[in-house]
Amino acid sequence: MTSQHTQRGERESSKERSGRSTGRTDSGRGRRVAAGVAGGALLLYGVARRSVRGVAAAVAGGWLLNRAIRGRSSGGGSAGWTAAEERPAKGAPRDSLDVQRSMTVERPAAELYDRWRDPETHEQMWAHFAEVDQIGEDRQHWAIAGPRGISLEWDAEVVAADPGEFLRWKSLPGAQVPNEGSVRFLERGDGEETEVTLHLRFDPPGGRVATTVIDRLDLLPDAAAGKALRRFKSLVETGETPTLEGNPSARGQGDLL
Amino acid sequence: MSDATSGTGTEGIGEMRALCWHGTNDLRVDSVPRPSLVNPNDAVLRVTASTACGSDLHIVDGYLPTMREGDVLGHEFVGEVAETGEGVEGVEAGERVVVPSFIGCGACAYCQDDLWSLCDNTNPNAEMQEPILGDSTAGIYGYTHAFGGYAGSHAEYIRVPHADENCFQVPDELDDTQALFVSDAWPTGYMGADFCDIEDGDTVAVWGCGGVGLMAQHSADLMGAEQVIGIDRFPARLHAAREHAGAETIDYTEVDSVLDRLDALTGGRGPDACIDAVGMEAHGTGVAHAYDRAKQQFGLHTDRGEALRQAMVACRKGGTLSILGVYGLMDKFPLGILMNKGITVRTAQQHGQRYVPELLDYAVEGELDPSYLATHEFSLEDGPEAYRMFREKEDGMIRPVFRP
Repeated sequence: MTSQHTQRGERESSKERSGRSTGRTDSGRGRRVAAGVAGGALLLYGVARRSVRGVAAAVAGGWLLNRAIRGRSSGGGSAGWTAAEERPAKGAPRDSLDVQRSMTVERPAAELYDRWRDPETHEQMWAHFAEVDQIGEDRQHWAIAGPRGISLEWDAEVVAADPGEFLRWKSLPGAQVPNEGSVRFLERGDGEETEVTLHLRFDPPGGRVATTVIDRLDLLPDAAAGKALRRFKSLVETGETPTLEGNPSARGQGDLL
Repeated sequence: MSDATSGTGTEGIGEMRALCWHGTNDLRVDSVPRPSLVNPNDAVLRVTASTACGSDLHIVDGYLPTMREGDVLGHEFVGEVAETGEGVEGVEAGERVVVPSFIGCGACAYCQDDLWSLCDNTNPNAEMQEPILGDSTAGIYGYTHAFGGYAGSHAEYIRVPHADENCFQVPDELDDTQALFVSDAWPTGYMGADFCDIEDGDTVAVWGCGGVGLMAQHSADLMGAEQVIGIDRFPARLHAAREHAGAETIDYTEVDSVLDRLDALTGGRGPDACIDAVGMEAHGTGVAHAYDRAKQQFGLHTDRGEALRQAMVACRKGGTLSILGVYGLMDKFPLGILMNKGITVRTAQQHGQRYVPELLDYAVEGELDPSYLATHEFSLEDGPEAYRMFREKEDGMIRPVFRP
C-alpha cells in the first residue's frame, strides 16, 4: 500500500508534536473512505498476524487509516516550505518521491546546524537508511544496500549553505537516482528550541532501478526522513540513539527491525 | 558481580533464563542471550525481583499488537547494578536500584516537564506508533515493539538505558519487595490520585482493586481524601482495599447497582473523582459488557470499556475522571457524558521518575508499605503457571513476584 502511495509521489505535509502544520487539503471523500477501509483491514490483519510482516501491515494500515481520518492524502501546503524550494503546483504530474518532516529539538539553531554538518553526527543519523561518508568538505558519498545485493550509491554536494539556518545538497550528475535534500533550522521562543525541517526528494528514472528504489524506500515518505530527524534529535539531546542492538529474546540477540 | 563479567563489549556474555511470550496464552521459559552495555548511558542490572502487571495480561491474552514471538516479558522490577556504560555518572555497580517501567532520557522537553512516559528519545520504534497515535511515546521494557521492543524484566538480567535518569537507589531500610512496586504499580496509582487534585472532604472512587487500583486508593487516602471507595469483585482484593488502603468497598457482583451504591455513599452527588484502574479487559454484568465482549472476541475492537463508562456516569458534575487502565483504540466512547457533566479527564502512562523519590520517602517513613501486593512468590521457571493463576486471580492472588 505504501509503495503505491510513494509511486504516486504524493506529498506528505509534516505534523510533528507541535501540530503546527497548515493547509490541510481534503482529498476526495471517496478516496478517504476507501483508504480508511483498506487501512482498517490492514491494521486488523497486521494486528492478527503478530509477525514482522504483520507489524508492517499494521503500520501501513494504521498510516492509511490515520490519513483517511485526517483527510490529507493529497497535496496540502506546509509551514516552512518556501517558493524557493520549487514545489510543483498541485495537480502537476509527479514522478518524484518527496517528503518533508519537521521536528522540534531542544537546542539553539546555531548548535544544531553545526551538529548537522559534523560528519560523525551526520553518519549516525542516517545509519538506518544509508552509509554516508564524507569525501570532501562539502561532499558526501551515500550508499544504500538494497534487496538481493542491489545497491545504490551516489555522491552529493552541498549547493547552498546559510550557517545556522539552512543547508541544501544535491546529488552530482551521474547518480542512478538523482536526488536532493534540504534542512532548515528555525528557532522559536527564547532560542533554546529549534524547529528542524527536513525535505528529501528522489527522482527515479524508471525501470528496474526505480522499482528497487521504491522497494528499498518502502516507507520513505515518512519513516526514513522522520527517523533521520528523530535520530538527529536524540543524538543532540542525549548523546545517543535508542537502539535494540543486542536486545535479548528467544529469537536470539538483537532486534533491529 | 565478579570481575569476569565486568566487560564492556557489545557481545552478550553467556545466556540467562527468561520468561518469553510465544503467542496468545503461550508463555515459556527460555534460555536467551544475556544483555550487555550497548549505549554509553546504559546499565545492566541483575534482576532481584520482578512482578507481573495487569497490563501484561492484555499481552498474554493477545489484545496488544506488535508483540513478537520470543519477546521477554516484564516491566516492573528491582535489581542490582552489574555494570555501567562510560557515560553513566550517578549509578555504580553493586547498588540496589528500582527502575520505572517507562524509560526517560531526562533531556527532551517532555522529560524536563516531568512527563516522562512521553519521552521523545527512548523509543527505537517510534515510527510504529506515529501512524496510529499521531506521535510516539517513551519506550518501555517488555511491552510490545510499538512501545520500544526492549527486553523485559522477567529475566536474570536487563539492560536499562539512560541509567542516571532511570535507576533510583533503594534505601537500606527497604527490602526488595517493598521497593519493587515503586517501579510501576505505586507511581501509577499515585499519579492517578495526584490527577484528582484531592481536597478536604473529597470522595474518590476507584474501579479495580488490583495492584494499581489499590495503590491509587492508598495514595488517595494518603493525600487526604475523606472517603475512598474501591470497586471490584474478588474478595481477597476487596479485603486488601479495606485492610490496607483505607477504602470502603463495593463488590459489583453483590449489588443491584454500583451507581446507586455510590450515590448512597456520597449523599447523591457522586464521587468527586473517579479513577479507572481496570482498562481494556473490563468485566461487567450487563448488556453493555456482553456487547463489548462479543466485539472484542471477533476482533472488531480491542477494548471492553465497562468500568470506564460506569465511572463517567458515576462521577459528580464538574468532577475528575482519572484514567490509568490501558486502552487501545476504543470506539463507542460516550463523550456526551463527559461534556454535559463538565468532567475533567486526566490520563497518562506513568511518569514514574517524577514520583519515585517521594514514594521511597513514604516507604522509609512507614506511611505506605506496598509489599502487601506481593501475595505469591515464584521462581522464573514457574512463570507460565504464575501468569495463569494471576489471570484467574486464583488463591487470592494480587501480584505474583519472581525472584530470578
